[in-house]
Amino acid sequence: MEEKLSFDLMGIQSCQRNRYPLLFVDKIIEAIPSKSARGIKNFTFNEWYFPAHFDDDPNVPGFVLVECLVQTFLMTFLCMEEYRGMETSFVSINNVKFKKKVVPGDRLEMDARLDSFRRGVAKGHVDAFVDGIFTCSADFVVAITEVLDQYKPKETE
Amino acid sequence: MNNKEKYINAFVETFGVSAEEVEKLEYSQIEEWDSVGHMSLVAALEDVFGIMMDADDIIDFSSYEKGLEILEEKYQIKM
Repeated sequence: MEEKLSFDLMGIQSCQRNRYPLLFVDKIIEAIPSKSARGIKNFTFNEWYFPAHFDDDPNVPGFVLVECLVQTFLMTFLCMEEYRGMETSFVSINNVKFKKKVVPGDRLEMDARLDSFRRGVAKGHVDAFVDGIFTCSADFVVAITEVLDQYKPKETE
Repeated sequence: MNNKEKYINAFVETFGVSAEEVEKLEYSQIEEWDSVGHMSLVAALEDVFGIMMDADDIIDFSSYEKGLEILEEKYQIKM
């Protein structure tokens, strides 16, 4: 039987290194280690970027949406005990799609799928919805640097 | 595309260098061949040749030349 986990804000921060003002997932409703994660992010007008993006039409910047997606994706593998708290870095972001503007008051629901996880390199896909309507998605390749370092060649003289 | 061309192409695609540049490449010699690039190169080669490399071989893979030697001797890929 699959292990199902859930994380509040403090639990998320015990798994990943993102912190305010760059932490963009509020809650993980369900995480199945090495398989999937479902996360939510609630947007209120108090978010620091709304006054700047834009003063007459506040909406969530694209880079913030990408961070929402990837931070949920991270929880598919950083929820495993042996990887908790490890630093990650982007390898690639592909097929990013934005279909709907996200505005104050919206609740973004994200479904992340881990397609492969080998030697510290995770590949997967995330879809996000507001009120059940498809909002954005992306494919990610993310690496755990500490694991990669175990495989790097010894420096040559 | 023969095996040698596939091998060279993995470097070209992974690091964005020209085919003429790859023969003298060594780990960390260019910015793109860092620990992340190294694993991307290994993943590309595993996909292209349908192999699964051992951890020791990944660590020993310190240059274009050394990689050729490892693939030929350990994985029987004729170049």
